[in-house]
Amino acid sequence: MSASDKQRVLYRETHSSRAVVAALAAVLVVVLCAYGLLESAVHAIGQPAWLIEPQTAAERLVALPAGVPPLLLGALGAVLAMIGLFFLLNAVLPGRRARHVLNGERVRADPRSVPEADGGALSRGGTADGWDSPAVVVDDEVIASALARRARLAANVTPEQVMVVVSRHQVVVNVRPTSGVPLEEAAVLAAVEDELGEMALVPAPEVRVNLSSTGVIGA
Amino acid sequence: MTSTPVLLNRILVGILGIKLLAVGVFLVLLATVPAVATWWHSWSADAWLGINQAFNDTRFPGRPESWLWIVLVLVTLLLMGLMVAWAAQQGKGRTNLLVSGDDAGEVAGDVRIGGGVAEQALKHALAERPDLAAATVATYEVNGRPALKVRLLPRQGVAPHLLAAEVATLVEALDAVVGQRTPVLIHIGAGARTRFSRAERVR
Repeated sequence: MSASDKQRVLYRETHSSRAVVAALAAVLVVVLCAYGLLESAVHAIGQPAWLIEPQTAAERLVALPAGVPPLLLGALGAVLAMIGLFFLLNAVLPGRRARHVLNGERVRADPRSVPEADGGALSRGGTADGWDSPAVVVDDEVIASALARRARLAANVTPEQVMVVVSRHQVVVNVRPTSGVPLEEAAVLAAVEDELGEMALVPAPEVRVNLSSTGVIGA
Repeated sequence: MTSTPVLLNRILVGILGIKLLAVGVFLVLLATVPAVATWWHSWSADAWLGINQAFNDTRFPGRPESWLWIVLVLVTLLLMGLMVAWAAQQGKGRTNLLVSGDDAGEVAGDVRIGGGVAEQALKHALAERPDLAAATVATYEVNGRPALKVRLLPRQGVAPHLLAAEVATLVEALDAVVGQRTPVLIHIGAGARTRFSRAERVR
């Protein structure tokens, strides 16, 4: 396993594989094909059509604006366009997940604690050069709750008074102080930045602290 | 972990999206713009004549049916098969073997260790922790080599880097037992089970 494999796995984990959308698309196409086959088969053995004869369907399609109320036709087109847009955007957009990579260098516990070359060891076909330390991926929600806990301890308020939003490049810490108890913004900022520094996230977000101007009574 | 065909997914989903979008926009135009309707009438009439002609030219000798129907059915069946194969490619890559190699000793034969060894050992080690709501371990194949994926659901407020470091020591202990360093991915996630559970206070 090389370092490039590790990078590849980390990329895969932080980006959507579009597996669900792909399965949806496959099912959609299969259902359409199956319906076409059913109507053809019913037609071939001379039974009455289930929904519409293939021949009639084609003739209606040729004569299209006539025979269908324009409102219905427009609505149908709009719905189809929406579904198409959904699939297209899923394919074109980068598909980033709300996750950050934790810097692996800090996670490594102790490289010497693993047996290197003792005599009876298995032949080391898969020496893990470049992938020594585990690759770590963290959901933004987990980061947010850890930061909220730290900010709450620094500000000495209850959990309900702190709300943290983590996005790709930014961490926003919203604190509502207790009425009558002064609160230093710098202290909260320092605590949150200290915690973030220990996490060593990639990409590293910048921190903003919002102190609410109104306080909470009796907290 | 890396066996899902990401590029293929993007391309095929994109093609389907463009087609549906084009059909939808065309239907809306057909309903609203009269000029499009007249153009469609002239074009589709020609196309319809051409298709009818093609079916008439390809009849079985002496019978009213065209063999174009059989071709159409075969193409549809092929398309359905391809779609099923595509859907089956999603989320693949699990494997059963953690170690499969030649023992350097004098006894002939291979050594194989199932992925269940690592999965059970790590799961058991993680099950006792009060700061985890759940943990799952699975063995995947990356570039033909086994790798472990550890998915952790910590309770609210648990610092992810400390958790990752502690799991890393567990993994190193496992490496020492197995005798081979296994690449590991740790995914620390959040789910419904962590969102509504109590926060971990004693740590």
